[in-house]
Amino acid sequence: MSFDTRPAAFTVNGRQVEIEAAPTERLSHLLRERLGLTGTKVGCDAGDCGACTVLVDGMPQCACLMPAARVAGRQVTTVEGLASDGRLSALQAAFLRHGAAQCGICTPGMLMAAAALLSVNPRPAPAEAEAALGGVLCRCTGYRKIVAAVCDAWADAPRPAPVPAGRAVGAPVARLDGPPKVTGADVFGADRWPAGALWVHVIRSPHHHADFSFGDLAAWQAATPGVAAVFTAADIPGRNAFGVIPPFADQPALAVDAARFRGEAVALVALEPGAAEDFDATAFPVTWEELPAALDPEAAKSAPAIHPARPGNLLIRGLVRRGDPDAALAAAAHVAEGAIETAYVEHAYIEPEAGCAYMDGETLVIHTCTQAPHMDRDDTAVMLGLPPERVRIVATSTGGGFGSKLDISIQPLVGLVTLKTGRPARIVYTRGDSMRSTTKRHPARMRARIGTDAAGRVTGQVFDGDFNTGAYASWGPTVANRVPVHASGPYSVPNYRAEARAIHTNGPIAGAFRGFGVPQATIMQEVLYDQLAADAGIDRLAFRQLNALTDGESTVCGQRLSAVGIGACLAALEGPWSEALAWAADAPAGPVTRGVGIASCWYGCGNTALPNPSTIRIGVTAAGEVVLHQGAADIGQGANTVIAQIAADALGVALGAIRLVGPDTAFTPDAGKTSASRQTYVSGRAAEAAGRALRSAILRHANVAEGASLGFGQGTIVIDDGAARHVIDLAALAEGRDGYVFAAEETYDPPTTALDADGQGTPYAVYGYGAQIVELSVDTRLGTVKLHRITAAHDLGRVINPVLAEGQIEGGIAQGIGLALMEDYVPGRTENLHDYLIPTFGDVPEIHHILIEKPDPEGPFGAKGLGEHVLIPTAPAILNAIRHATGALVTRLPATPDRVLAAIRSKGA
Amino acid sequence: MRFEVAASVAEAVRMLAAEPGTTRVLAGGTDVLVQLRSGLVEPDLVVDIKRIDGMREIRAEDGGFRIGAAVSGAELGEDAGVRALWPGVVEGMELIGSTQVQGRATLAGNLCNASPAADSVPAMVAADAVARVAGPAGERDVPVAQIPAGPGKTTLAKGEFIVSIFLPARPAGSADAYLRFIPRTEMDIAVCSAGVSLTIGGDGTCTAARVALGAVAPTVLLVPDAAAALIGSKLDDAALDALAAACSAAAKPIDDKRGTVAFRKKVAGVLARRAAVIAAERARG
Ligand SMILES: Cc1cc2nc3c(=O)[nH]c(=O)nc-3n(C[C@H](O)[C@H](O)[C@H](O)COP(=O)(O)OP(=O)(O)OC[C@H]3O[C@@H](n4cnc5c(N)ncnc54)[C@H](O)[C@@H]3O)c2cc1C
Ligand code: FES
Ligand code: FES
Repeated sequence: MSFDTRPAAFTVNGRQVEIEAAPTERLSHLLRERLGLTGTKVGCDAGDCGACTVLVDGMPQCACLMPAARVAGRQVTTVEGLASDGRLSALQAAFLRHGAAQCGICTPGMLMAAAALLSVNPRPAPAEAEAALGGVLCRCTGYRKIVAAVCDAWADAPRPAPVPAGRAVGAPVARLDGPPKVTGADVFGADRWPAGALWVHVIRSPHHHADFSFGDLAAWQAATPGVAAVFTAADIPGRNAFGVIPPFADQPALAVDAARFRGEAVALVALEPGAAEDFDATAFPVTWEELPAALDPEAAKSAPAIHPARPGNLLIRGLVRRGDPDAALAAAAHVAEGAIETAYVEHAYIEPEAGCAYMDGETLVIHTCTQAPHMDRDDTAVMLGLPPERVRIVATSTGGGFGSKLDISIQPLVGLVTLKTGRPARIVYTRGDSMRSTTKRHPARMRARIGTDAAGRVTGQVFDGDFNTGAYASWGPTVANRVPVHASGPYSVPNYRAEARAIHTNGPIAGAFRGFGVPQATIMQEVLYDQLAADAGIDRLAFRQLNALTDGESTVCGQRLSAVGIGACLAALEGPWSEALAWAADAPAGPVTRGVGIASCWYGCGNTALPNPSTIRIGVTAAGEVVLHQGAADIGQGANTVIAQIAADALGVALGAIRLVGPDTAFTPDAGKTSASRQTYVSGRAAEAAGRALRSAILRHANVAEGASLGFGQGTIVIDDGAARHVIDLAALAEGRDGYVFAAEETYDPPTTALDADGQGTPYAVYGYGAQIVELSVDTRLGTVKLHRITAAHDLGRVINPVLAEGQIEGGIAQGIGLALMEDYVPGRTENLHDYLIPTFGDVPEIHHILIEKPDPEGPFGAKGLGEHVLIPTAPAILNAIRHATGALVTRLPATPDRVLAAIRSKGA
Repeated sequence: MRFEVAASVAEAVRMLAAEPGTTRVLAGGTDVLVQLRSGLVEPDLVVDIKRIDGMREIRAEDGGFRIGAAVSGAELGEDAGVRALWPGVVEGMELIGSTQVQGRATLAGNLCNASPAADSVPAMVAADAVARVAGPAGERDVPVAQIPAGPGKTTLAKGEFIVSIFLPARPAGSADAYLRFIPRTEMDIAVCSAGVSLTIGGDGTCTAARVALGAVAPTVLLVPDAAAALIGSKLDDAALDALAAACSAAAKPIDDKRGTVAFRKKVAGVLARRAAVIAAERARG
């Protein structure tokens, strides 16, 4: 589509601008692409996410719905206009104080919607804040801390005192990378690009399965204005196959001859700057020949193999076996049996994948949002036929990931364009691109039987599940291996057999999503536990306490555990549980009934029975500055802050004195992937070791005993051991590697062992535990579920940062709510944020957290992981509460109102 | 694509009628911008009607209200007069989108976008609202119920557009209500919806009623049987049950992932019943 342009004159943040614009050019585009005001974010370009909210004459508006013609003569305020003279507004400060920004991609929209509210209502009630901000989606926080920040923005809270040296661990410090997130200065994948960068458009398969062939690409390119280059699989210089688990690498960056899922990339069109708006992709010369598609895993088992080497479309089978479960079930006093089915779940981070590439001499540099910079580098290098040192990945801030930004997406595509053309290039996925082409949570079909003795002690369990892994392997093997290890829950199960299979279909690729299949398996186990408690005549919480693993007991893998926190979590819920039961019993008469549910979780931190080392480096410059090379990608979960807190205390320096570098493969050693709840534990241990090593080196240099205090700065290190002050003159020291006068680099790899054929061994060195209570009501005429309150008790070993921990819990719960009640990705049907529903403000109830500390000697300062644990109990607790309220168990997720109603009716029938 | 800002109704009609290709009127643009962006439509001409005199006015007329085609949901909600007379229409409009969308979305745009799930439409149909349509042949008044022709289609002829919507006067003891059913708590598209308008006489008997359903057929559905169940009754349980049954029977929804046919038919009845109860409470004051 093309327009005549005309001048639009308006005011932005008090500055008068005049710019040529097509009348229907979106204000969001104008601000970001042409005025460089990238604080305004674009998450959907359709009015659904609110990330682009700005004020126009003081009123909140979606900049993506605002045509340039309507802005003329008006006052536009963006997030960049909130702080004045470098001072944060009270609202921005409140966001930092409350931890209301995690990844920060929704933050500008939240702030602008809140600013509009506060200008007319300076002290809003929570309900007023929720109503005013309801049009802005957040996938990280679970919204509660945002509401708290908005309602508290009037309070002129004093700036928190800096945390003294040695006190960082456990302190509720605001995230270190927070300020740019509230000013709009933070740089995400789509926010910076080199001048003259080509715009990369991806041509994708509209079919689940199709052969394709190209027409005359050269002729089309010559005839189409603005097209600089076209690339297909034939142009890929290296191995056209990637995958997060090398032996299973099977996914082409650009498909060859056949596309195996809807949304698969087949060609790239590199457009000259400015040509993207007018580009008509429908004219691209590709012919599709639709082929039969296997979408259902059951049907796929007997369909032609999608990958010839994987007959029956079986990617992999995971198994854990212990004792004699069949005999145990045969002898059991009570046996519960059931089946559960879950849907594809989309990660729906508010930032679609984006990045840019350019050549720096011989090195291909790619800036991108990611959860795994080093893996991106290595895979991209292989695909582009380069040695790894010729590829550099600079991680931008990442607007949420939750597992999906572990896999390669834009990296080889934008890299290929730059490598082949020599020109800088950029790529920004649309919401549709992101939803169509990136990974999802595995849909699961599970069956299980669990038996107890007459006293209610679990004696045996059998679990069997098919996990639809989609067209390519991605993290299917991890899911198949993790599920059997965890399907017992944190309970003692002496006789056990669990098998999980990853089955290929032509559906979307299922990969990593917070929990790697464990949330699905836990639903199966926890709903049966409610059944067993009822059969055994035991209170549901007491039943779980009776069966909870304790120190010294063995898991289903035969691993003897220590530092087991599930007992403490369940004990902490005793009071809230009786209150919840009383609340439910007190329901008013009428069609709305009340129910409460409970469920537990455990989760092993780090890769399953495989090495996953992290390396952290800390250096001291000649000026006395402490620099932390922090390569653990912070996707909102807080690694930048938590790793620094650990390093600060290990070294004995004030947190505020540390400067962060990275993640950047040129400057930070490999801290592994931000996955498997491993960063706080694994990279944290490496940071602790590096901090301690650096401290020893400094003390050794000055010949001072352990226990002395260190002061950095002004070209010196001042060491005070109580008796005397020792001053190290840093200028007198030789600078070593990276220009540091002192440096330490340490690696930590969890001590695990491989699992044998029966899944016996030590798959993880550290586990985290938790349990949640859900209180809700059900409108039994409409089938609607309204959450009342959630109480979450989680054992973190040692709480490194309580504000960040609470944020993880609330955000995980929100995703658990989505999994339980509304999320269902259907390719071709829900490729946007109005047909694919994620929880919004009103869907997340009040959340109470109880943080338990049962230190694990293996973790840094005793800490365990938390990131994934938090969403595991939510969905099963919701299903159990719905059953408590209605007597009906919903066995197919999400539990949408029609399914709840159908379950109620079939129970009545 | 050309973009024009019309200064008068006559000019807008002239532009729309003269363009041989496809045209789009731009009111709030909350649908149009999304459609342009997604490449769903590529009109040859877009005519902005917001600057036309009177388009953003709400005027009292014959005991009712005439609402200009560019009045936003937020502006409608701030009008105490309309809110008092037609609370159901206002609540339908206010359910559209977020605060950000409310500042721009219009009644006429919602109607002409012709989504079966449009939130303001069942309430407008229950209210027997009338659209004033300007076109090459002058102006004509058309009942709102006759504007949508099917998903994304209207009965408006070439060169025609809506200049205002008229909400009529009503006797004492009257009120309306609108309810929709969505799986999420906000910012979602109706799976089913119901608008009910009714009048209660001095003795508590319902003397007039109109019931309309949304999202259960290709266009909004007026259900005379449901209204008949109320008229002459004291709005007792039997009458309300009959209304619900009539709505469930009239609904002709499709099966999709947002709700099965059986579920939507049932919910249509439940919602209409609940809307009738709310409207009755309002009518009784
Ligand atoms: C995030 C978001 C959430 C939404 N939520 C809802 C919702 O909950 N419920 C709901 O019903 N809708 C919803 N919508 C859709 C939309 O906001 C409404 O349909 C709105 O009322 C359209 O009004 P508008 O003025 O913006 O229309 P526009 O986009 O300007 O126009 C819509 C259509 O009507 C035509 N048109 C506009 N005015 C006239 C006129 N006067 N005469 C003739 N034709 C005209 C246009 O050409 C176009 O085809 C949502 C949209 C977004 C972006
Ligand atoms: S980008 Fe504008 S609402 Fe999502
Ligand atoms: S903090 Fe809201 S989306 Fe990440």
